[in-house]
Amino acid sequence: MARIAVLPSDVADQIAAGEVVERPASVVKELVENALDAGATTVDVELEEGGRRLVRVSDDGLGMDRDDARLALERHATSKIRSASDLVGVRSFGFRGEALSAICSVSRFTVTTSMVDGAGTCVEAAGGAVHDVRETARRRGTTVSVQDLFFNTPARARFLRGTRSEWRATSDALVAIALARRDVRLRVTADAKDVMALAPAATLRDRIAALWGAGSAARFLDVDAVTGPIRVSGLAERPSEVGTASRRTALIVNGRSVRDLGLTRAAESAYRTALSPGLRPSFALEIQLPGDAVDVNVHPAKAEVRFHDRWEVERAVERAVRRALGVLDSAALVGAGVRTWHAPLVIGNDILPAPLASLPSSGGGVPLFDDPDPSGERHAATTGDVVAVPHLVQLRRTYLLYEHDDGVVLIDQHSAHERVLYERFTQQMSGGGASSQRLLMPETVHLSPRDAESLEGHRDALSKLGFELEPFGGHSVIVHAVPTPHRRFDALRCLRETLATLSGDRGATVHAGHELLVATVACKAAVKAGEPLLPDEMAALFRALVSTALPAHDVHGRSGIIRLTWDELDRRFGRR
Amino acid sequence: MRFTIAREKLQEALTNVAPAVPAKTTLPVLANILVEANERGVRFSGTDLDVAVSIEVPADVEVPGALTLPAKRLGEITRELPPAPVKIAALGEQRATLECGRTKFKLLGLPRDEYPAFAPVEFNTGWRVKSSVLHELISRTAFAVSTEESRPILNGVLWEVRDKLLRMVATNGHRLALMESPVEVGPGATGDFIVPPRALDQVRRVFPPEEEIEIGKGENHLAFRSPIASVSTRLIEGPYPNYDQVIPRDNDRFAIVDRPSLVSALRRMSVVASDQTHRVKLSFNTALLKFTVQTPDVGEGQDEIPVQYTGDALDIGFNSSYLLEILRYMPSDEVRFTFKTAERAATLLPENWAGPGKYVCLVMPLRLVD
Repeated sequence: MARIAVLPSDVADQIAAGEVVERPASVVKELVENALDAGATTVDVELEEGGRRLVRVSDDGLGMDRDDARLALERHATSKIRSASDLVGVRSFGFRGEALSAICSVSRFTVTTSMVDGAGTCVEAAGGAVHDVRETARRRGTTVSVQDLFFNTPARARFLRGTRSEWRATSDALVAIALARRDVRLRVTADAKDVMALAPAATLRDRIAALWGAGSAARFLDVDAVTGPIRVSGLAERPSEVGTASRRTALIVNGRSVRDLGLTRAAESAYRTALSPGLRPSFALEIQLPGDAVDVNVHPAKAEVRFHDRWEVERAVERAVRRALGVLDSAALVGAGVRTWHAPLVIGNDILPAPLASLPSSGGGVPLFDDPDPSGERHAATTGDVVAVPHLVQLRRTYLLYEHDDGVVLIDQHSAHERVLYERFTQQMSGGGASSQRLLMPETVHLSPRDAESLEGHRDALSKLGFELEPFGGHSVIVHAVPTPHRRFDALRCLRETLATLSGDRGATVHAGHELLVATVACKAAVKAGEPLLPDEMAALFRALVSTALPAHDVHGRSGIIRLTWDELDRRFGRR
Repeated sequence: MRFTIAREKLQEALTNVAPAVPAKTTLPVLANILVEANERGVRFSGTDLDVAVSIEVPADVEVPGALTLPAKRLGEITRELPPAPVKIAALGEQRATLECGRTKFKLLGLPRDEYPAFAPVEFNTGWRVKSSVLHELISRTAFAVSTEESRPILNGVLWEVRDKLLRMVATNGHRLALMESPVEVGPGATGDFIVPPRALDQVRRVFPPEEEIEIGKGENHLAFRSPIASVSTRLIEGPYPNYDQVIPRDNDRFAIVDRPSLVSALRRMSVVASDQTHRVKLSFNTALLKFTVQTPDVGEGQDEIPVQYTGDALDIGFNSSYLLEILRYMPSDEVRFTFKTAERAATLLPENWAGPGKYVCLVMPLRLVD
């Protein structure tokens, strides 16, 4: 007896439909993508009961003739590719030729299409079977109506959620498309109410402003960087804003919205040390790379892509976001209500004002970043470029203030120094280690049992940072050599405080490698609030700060720079 | 109080006392100079409570008395006065008039009672020394004191006063300078004192080298006086670390280096040395000293100078600013550089130095990472 039989095609179609059509949201996604692939400039989406009862997508694209309209409902029928070689670097959203037939097989389906204004074709089908093809009148374009989704597969229908839940999923799908294709006018009505009306937008920022509100758009910094063949652009949330509103992320790879945990992590890791632990940033990033460097044909709904060199792409993303965070514009703003958006800032050290101060600062005093005769020329010669140091004023022995083209800038001296030391120590950890000054009279440090334990876990790393330590029975260590990061550095106090801080954290040795140790040492080694700084020290700190990757943030995720814009000042003084 | 004084004498006194007057103080009277007129002349004094300086200058005193006057203003007025005798007279307890030719001022001061009393110092058990000896000891050691606030004891210069010897030691824990000179002290006055370098600066300023100075001590003070001037200072309390045990006795390798060429090579190398550590690698080879600097993000430098050296080759890292500082105070043109290993203290000594006594500087190496 034959136990194995080839399934009838309608059954096979229903099974295949399960991969592509999960819920109304996937129907909307497939239909809108078809519309976009047809060159539509305006797409209207109409939903009833969150799409459970009706999904109708109308476009002003190419349209189809009568034969194509019939054929389009067949499985593996497509206009988008002709041979397997077209799959490499495919630019259209769809290409599998599965969506329409899959949707058609599980719904009551109507296509009205026309290639020229006037004469058109209407095809009606139900459960995959075409039962009417007739002439109709329509303007150029195509309308696809999907009614009663899963009417013939009750098992699947039962998995549909409530109207609100389906709408939320649909809305996410529409937002993803809206971000990827900003040139298209998109109108959405749900149960006869307008819920989304997006005009064509020139930039991602404009589209986000239209989607999430203008206030939201101002939360974001511009990202734009090219690494080899990979260009990463878009928006990343200003660190001081992270956590103050719900999180949204969007990734667009070669114009296609995708989900990708690796890239999301890469973008998040760019925020490392600029955010408090537990906070996750919002961002919308567009990644452009050569078509042959990415494979989009790995997921039926094409929500995921495969990169030929994933590491390279992740690195490009991290680098681009980090660069965006490194500009002055990423610093926190004073004045809650004001979210004036400045023209996109140049990537780089835009923290520097006009080169009015390109004159070297003169020597004198005891410099923090010591140098026997800290003449500006020498510094310029050693670093290869002249950093223009503005006139800095120390406030309350805690903050440095200076005037910038856009407003007043305040720097927290401790945060700034901490950031400088953190990056230097990180470099030393990955390089050969710091050189350390041997002590004439070795110092014995007595530790609590907990501190001694935390010392054991960090001994190698501390030695790389320049602490040469020798156990001395019990919980004592002899310090033979210490690093000398700056003139006011108190090595033993730094060591004690670091160990005390780390001993409170059980996971300190396990998590994040030595990042926590380095951050702690940097924090303890940095100048404290309340220490008066000489003008030369302030200038040296400023120079060192602007050459760091994330000047505006300290290593604990707090702001290190705060800006008070002229706009805000003018507003408060009633000048505008 | 009323007296007449030559303008130059007034100026001289104020120039000497003014540096002892603190620029900022919470006690207003300390911003003033104490003016005391007696039958010998007029004594001007200033203090910040730690260090006090007084100068007595001849004057024609009509009425003895005392008063304090604002130091800064008095100095500025004096500087602008015409070259004529200056008449100063008290008007009650806290005002004074100053007349010079046709110039007249009235100045507000504070009563003498508000001025702090100076700590009592005993000179009978003290000793005498030529000012130039102190000058030399101070200038060759005081540079090495620590400026860190964490160990105040190292912020001072240790004076070891022995029967026939005065030794000064200063260190910041990374480098050390020690100098001793034969001085007839006598058994009664011996002791150890830790003196703030600020007081030593005043000593060098107030007493000319040829003068003979009397040194006396109080409970926690040391005082210096000549017939006309005196400086007294509070001492830093606490035990000074045992510096003697860190002075290497077994440094068996040495090089004789020409000081000017060592200095200029180090200066050149410093240009590309790290701003933080000033690390320079010195490689001693037979008859040749090589310098190497490698600073990430900056660049590299190399240099070499001939030296007298016969030991095994040795690479040793130093903070070039420490070396340059020591070399600046070395009294001879040739320097003896001794060491044992790249981890142990190196010493620098003057070679062929005719000076009396002994001078040695120590510097701890930097760990080399390559």
